[in-house]
Amino acid sequence: MIGRPVDRVDGRIKVTGAAPYAADTKIPGVTCGYLVTSTIGRGRLTGMDTAAALASPGVLAVYTPFNPLKLFAYVQEQNDERFPPLQDTEIRFFGQAIGFVVAETWEQARDAAGLVTATYDQQPPVTEFPGRTLQAFEEVEEVVGTQTVGDITFTASYTTPFQHHCAMEPHATVATWNGDHLTVYTVSQGALLVQRRLSETLGVDAAKIHVLSPHVGGGFGGKWGNWAQVPLACAASRALGRPVKAVLTREQVFAMAGHRPRTKQTLAMTCTEDGKLTSIVNDGVTSRGLGGNWSESVANWTLTTYASPNLRVTKTVVPLNLGAATVMRAPGEANGSFALESAMDELAAQLGVDPVELRLRNYATLVPNTGKPWSGKHLDECYRLGAEEFGWSKRPKQVRATADGDWLVGTGMATATYGASRGQASIKVRLHPDGTASVSGTAADLGTGQYTVFAILAADELGIPVTRVRPDLGDSTSPAAANAGGSNSTCTNGPAVQVAAKAVQTELITLATTNPRSPFYGKEVSYRDGSVSSGGLTMSFGTLLTTCDVGGVEAVGTSPRLVDPEHGFRSFGAHFCEVRVHRLTGEPRVTRWLSVCDAGTIVNAKAARSQIQGAVVMGIGQALLEATEVDVSARFTNANLASYLVPVHADIPRIDVRFLDHSDPVISGLGAKGIGELGIVGVAGAIANAVHHATGVRVRDLPITLDKLL
Amino acid sequence: MHAFDYAAASTVRGALDLAGPGSAFLAGGTTLVDLMKLDVLTPDRVIDVNALPLKGIRLHDGALRIGALERMSDVAAHPVVRSVHPVISKALLLSASGQVRNMASIGGNLMQRTRCDYFRDVTSACNKRRPGSGCPALTGVNRNHAVLGTSDSCVATHASDVAVAFVALDAQVVLRSKDGDRVAPLEEFYRLPGSTPDRENVLGPGELIAEVVVPVLPWARHSTYLKIRDRQSYEFALTSVAAAVDVKRGVVQDVRLAAGGVAAKPWRLRAVEEALKGGVAIERTFAEAAESAVDGARPLAHNAFKTALLKRTIVRALLDAAGAR
Amino acid sequence: MRVNVTVNGEQRQADDVWEGESLLFMLRERLGLPGSKNACEQGECGSCTVYLDNVPVCACLVAAGQAQDRSVRTVEGLAEGDQLDPVQEAFVEAGAVQCGFCTPGLVVQAHDLLDRVPNPSDPEIREALAGNLCRCTGYEKILDAVRLAASRR
Repeated sequence: MIGRPVDRVDGRIKVTGAAPYAADTKIPGVTCGYLVTSTIGRGRLTGMDTAAALASPGVLAVYTPFNPLKLFAYVQEQNDERFPPLQDTEIRFFGQAIGFVVAETWEQARDAAGLVTATYDQQPPVTEFPGRTLQAFEEVEEVVGTQTVGDITFTASYTTPFQHHCAMEPHATVATWNGDHLTVYTVSQGALLVQRRLSETLGVDAAKIHVLSPHVGGGFGGKWGNWAQVPLACAASRALGRPVKAVLTREQVFAMAGHRPRTKQTLAMTCTEDGKLTSIVNDGVTSRGLGGNWSESVANWTLTTYASPNLRVTKTVVPLNLGAATVMRAPGEANGSFALESAMDELAAQLGVDPVELRLRNYATLVPNTGKPWSGKHLDECYRLGAEEFGWSKRPKQVRATADGDWLVGTGMATATYGASRGQASIKVRLHPDGTASVSGTAADLGTGQYTVFAILAADELGIPVTRVRPDLGDSTSPAAANAGGSNSTCTNGPAVQVAAKAVQTELITLATTNPRSPFYGKEVSYRDGSVSSGGLTMSFGTLLTTCDVGGVEAVGTSPRLVDPEHGFRSFGAHFCEVRVHRLTGEPRVTRWLSVCDAGTIVNAKAARSQIQGAVVMGIGQALLEATEVDVSARFTNANLASYLVPVHADIPRIDVRFLDHSDPVISGLGAKGIGELGIVGVAGAIANAVHHATGVRVRDLPITLDKLL
Repeated sequence: MHAFDYAAASTVRGALDLAGPGSAFLAGGTTLVDLMKLDVLTPDRVIDVNALPLKGIRLHDGALRIGALERMSDVAAHPVVRSVHPVISKALLLSASGQVRNMASIGGNLMQRTRCDYFRDVTSACNKRRPGSGCPALTGVNRNHAVLGTSDSCVATHASDVAVAFVALDAQVVLRSKDGDRVAPLEEFYRLPGSTPDRENVLGPGELIAEVVVPVLPWARHSTYLKIRDRQSYEFALTSVAAAVDVKRGVVQDVRLAAGGVAAKPWRLRAVEEALKGGVAIERTFAEAAESAVDGARPLAHNAFKTALLKRTIVRALLDAAGAR
Repeated sequence: MRVNVTVNGEQRQADDVWEGESLLFMLRERLGLPGSKNACEQGECGSCTVYLDNVPVCACLVAAGQAQDRSVRTVEGLAEGDQLDPVQEAFVEAGAVQCGFCTPGLVVQAHDLLDRVPNPSDPEIREALAGNLCRCTGYEKILDAVRLAASRR
């Protein structure tokens, strides 16, 4: 069953509109909260006038830093806001929450929020990148070997803009209290992340906070953190004694709910005449929004990709008056790979070596910065299979060599790799008298297919059809499983599902042999395909539970964190693409795509393919379309889905995805590594390389828009 | 969104009676409702005109006449439009999305507001929205802004696609008020921003667009609407060109050209038209003629590429329309 | 104001509707139909697509009053009881659903496409669905779903 294409178990409720998302939560007497946000990028609030808003129809309360809801400081470092909202008067970024209006209806709250005025002591916001900065600092991330100079030298700088996750679902939270117990329906990449954050800032025992996040309309990192609407809805609900629902507008999501930081990488590489790298230096610069603490280690991808005896990467952080930068699909690596994969293509051209061949010559059979062996790596097979299937050998060596009518045609390729890890996870499996099994853990399904992964793995282990498994995710009262992030949900939770599904069989056997009502009482039994057998007698677990008049048996299984200092763990892949650029008007269009992936065991071929396709398309956006602009006011000027361009159907060619499906036995018995992020890594590099091949123009600054190709 | 009165009118007279300072006509709503949510528009009264008898698509007196309340999608699909002036259909189909085209009216399309991100953000200054407050786009993020017909007060583009096709075809609009009808060439219906960018057209208070009238021009069936944008679909134009060209024995007899995405209003390219007439219908002629398209252009920090792009868009559109390839 | 509207074949009435409410708000908050999603509120993403008098529109840009005496069909009204519409079935089977937030709008828009064009070409599908943003699937499987549904009609 593992690895076959399986329909997603949450498909039906999603195509009928029945799947409940946070904003769909209906609670009697619910009130609506609307955020008031700063209209300057830096300074101090000197006053706010809320009288008109308070007098507005339906308004219940207006909270501001001058009339705050008490929130305690956040304790643990997370990739979101450093400061709970409304607790001080400092303005760190444009669009920062400075007020929270609660009214009977959404429209009343929004209307009243428009009546709140603020006065500021204003300072010029810092938005220049890399530019002059408030407190930029450089740190050396890692040095390997002593830098030597080879025969051939290549240097270049590459930049990437601010980008936004643009998950289709805007951030929403609904909070309701029952005595001192809080129930929160919210968007989240992990119910426990919300529970921990709320426990800190509300000063409430985590055990009294119940977080429900069963369906999440996309995350991509943007829902890992908890943004202002989460604590405000909960604290306002506590203060008012009414349920409160808060939904961010799309513009507010852009301003305050995280973004991919701007980066610059300056690469200096040396190699021998036959193209063997002798040193790679990557000086990375990343922005950090002053609303948060997080920044990208953008140069670090260079440490683990190609063999080189000398490696040095640095990181310079540039703080800007913006909301928190946060993790976005393949943080550090999506941007990091753009530079190195472009540079490898440029170096190949300089050497007159085929780009695939250059990568094979510098193939890292050991982890470049540690010298450890890989747990499993079949990247060379990805290159070779990809090149063969794509027809790479027919590629002209010269740039601007192929045209189809008015379109210049070029091809390019790049390497994809993304880190893999296995954390600790606990999962509960329960067998029911109706013959079904439920599988629960705090894990999240952001659209990734985690529900179906749970169903497949439990069904496989229990020997029953997938349709008889009911996965239950996104509930903080379940056993603690992995949050959805870092591409390690399946890798971490999958083995725990297997352990729990095995453990519940032991429980069932114990029941069968010790319950006096059981026909197997006192006998030797075995479990197979959903049934218990002994001698000639076989009985399904549903019938057995019914016969014994027992409401169910359950077991919690825990798969421990993998501690393996001996190996390096990553997923691998290779992208091959064709790009067309119009000879007159310059617009670049991707017309053909092949990705070959080595990501360990694939649990659900259907969902896995879609995950890679989706990541490639987000990478096409990164390469050709997506950039959030900031002007002198520190406002993201194009904070909407018409001006911030994500790819649409018409932008996308057929995307061919192949999985090598080599299990990785070192990472777990299941052998699965991650696929959520792998697909975007290298995409922008492959496209930049294809654009260069088509036109002869090398674009080192994303996105590659037509104005750079005219 | 500010509170307002909602009134539905069933006759033109009734709609005009309801109109006054601070009122707005609601047809498809795809501009008005959007901008009201953003508080960019704050009418006291919204007059729903959807029941007004301003519909119908017909050929009459040598002209194609399109009622102002016809939906973009219906106009685009209409067999008469497609056979008489396919460029209108093409421009419409390259606009917005299917859902928006199903709702938006032709009259509303002509009245749509700019997509300037400063205009749409009420926390920003904007001379169009708040006269005298300034124009941050002049020195701000202005990649999408206009290079032609702009002023020191405003550099916003006009966002309509079909208006570009209409202007190329010498379309007129019938404007209806209590005083009766008047007819204005669409090109002159729009005003350049000058120092009053808040006044975008010549429509008087209590005046409605009733109809669009497009003269029939048989050779103009050889036409195209070419829209260049970063995204393949569902985006406003970086540049666009409506082109119709009459080529006989390889020589340009007559031509109509207008551009979008580059100017404060749909931009007729008369100098290019003149330069093309009598020329050989080949790429080099087109490229030479296109040079004058950007006379007087005022590029900004991020949109200087639009001058080169416009010229190339013209060449490409002419090659398409002339069937030169 | 009071709005009378036929929703999924049923005559419905919404009272005390504020003039500024959108059809989407009315459906979700007053008529108990949260299937249509609010993702941009500006007609830029298609997540709120519903049929209004048999043509798909962005419900977020329709003022509640514009729906007076008209007929609306939402994603909740496509299936016949337990029997999914072929388009819905194809979306599940082809794997065209991931997070599901764009799905209700896409299903309605694809449903309309196949009503008008029973056998659309790939470019026709891509263009017809260009107003429905999806951030998860990469669109490929959505195209598969439309082709699959077309082949079954």
